Amino acid sequence: MTEPGQAKDFLSQMILIREFETIAEGLTLRGKVPGGMHNSSGQEAVAVGVMAALKDEDAIASTHRSHHHSIARGMSTQSMMAELFTKSTGCSRGRGGSMHLVDLSRNYFGGNGIVGAGVSIAMGLALGIHILKKNSIAVGFMGDGAINTGRTWESINMAVIWNLPLLIVIDNNQYAVETFMDRVTGGKDFVARAKSFGMSAEVIDGQNVEEVYEATARARERILAGEGPQLINAVTYRYFGHNVGEVGKYRTQEEISDWKSNKDPIDNWISNLLAKKMITEDEISEIRENAKLEIGKAVEFAEASPFPDTNTVADDVDSGSLLRQL
Amino acid sequence: MEEIFVPALGVSAENVYLQKWLKAPGDAVQPGEAIAIVETDKAELEITSNTAGIMGKHLFNEDTDVAVGITICVLLHEGETEN
Repeated sequence: MTEPGQAKDFLSQMILIREFETIAEGLTLRGKVPGGMHNSSGQEAVAVGVMAALKDEDAIASTHRSHHHSIARGMSTQSMMAELFTKSTGCSRGRGGSMHLVDLSRNYFGGNGIVGAGVSIAMGLALGIHILKKNSIAVGFMGDGAINTGRTWESINMAVIWNLPLLIVIDNNQYAVETFMDRVTGGKDFVARAKSFGMSAEVIDGQNVEEVYEATARARERILAGEGPQLINAVTYRYFGHNVGEVGKYRTQEEISDWKSNKDPIDNWISNLLAKKMITEDEISEIRENAKLEIGKAVEFAEASPFPDTNTVADDVDSGSLLRQL
Repeated sequence: MEEIFVPALGVSAENVYLQKWLKAPGDAVQPGEAIAIVETDKAELEITSNTAGIMGKHLFNEDTDVAVGITICVLLHEGETEN
């Protein structure tokens, strides 16, 4: 059972993520976020549960939908929001936007725009850990759509034959953009496919933050014990479209309502904590209020920050310019 | 009060063409109902409400260009009046 302090941290982080996404969604629709964004509302427990089980020395690669992973890894919401606005104070200095949230000081290699690339990047990170004989692991997030992408399995195959310290987490919201995964996935079973590559794999309830945390902790221990790559298929659901503003007619209102009202990771965790008397209503209100204040400050910071100076447009485009800054 | 605006849907936030109002000031609107039709450079798009309410004034005329993200009308909820 989770300790009371950690149980409250889980709740605070999930509520902070939901608040960030709610505010960022509205700002994107108003045209404040160039390039748009992918809303992770509904998927908070996967991010929070996984990150809580990892250590500072573990290295992480995310996906195109990365806000929840970034907040759960402890990134500054100010530098994240500024990056969404493509301001110079953003974590990628305004060059990247929503899909390029990154914080190397946290061993967080961040998001990217390529389906399945988080797996390949994490495989490389795991190879580095292996060569340097470090006592840590690499974690690659992937969406369910990446289950049918070649690079996913090329990377996993290499990780298996080299016995690399790699954990793959499928942040499985069940829809690849507008396509229901069952319709396009041979065999339909992600875990069976992973096992056929010679790795351990399990499916878990991605709406239960404690279950995600425990599964991740178990997988991490097995990897450190030399048992090789592990895969967790965390089944979850996104409440909004693939990207902000998407007109989605491919899911029924009944299905969306069922997930929101019966399987919401925040509501269910609150019920659980209240039933066990691990939190009070006042504490929950305070957590919600703090999240609103923090994200309000992040928006103010982003609004007040300047866009990058056009004279710096050639910076950061090659390794030479990066090295010159060192 | 719900502010109805043209959402930024593309990569660039540019003007869209307000083709037609589907609701007049004073009309009752249900959640999800279409209020106006706009044209982007790619597609025709219905602007819909999230809540139930009474239509306020049209802040733009049909057959004009409207900036993305700008409020085009409000939906008044019970007890509310427009400025």
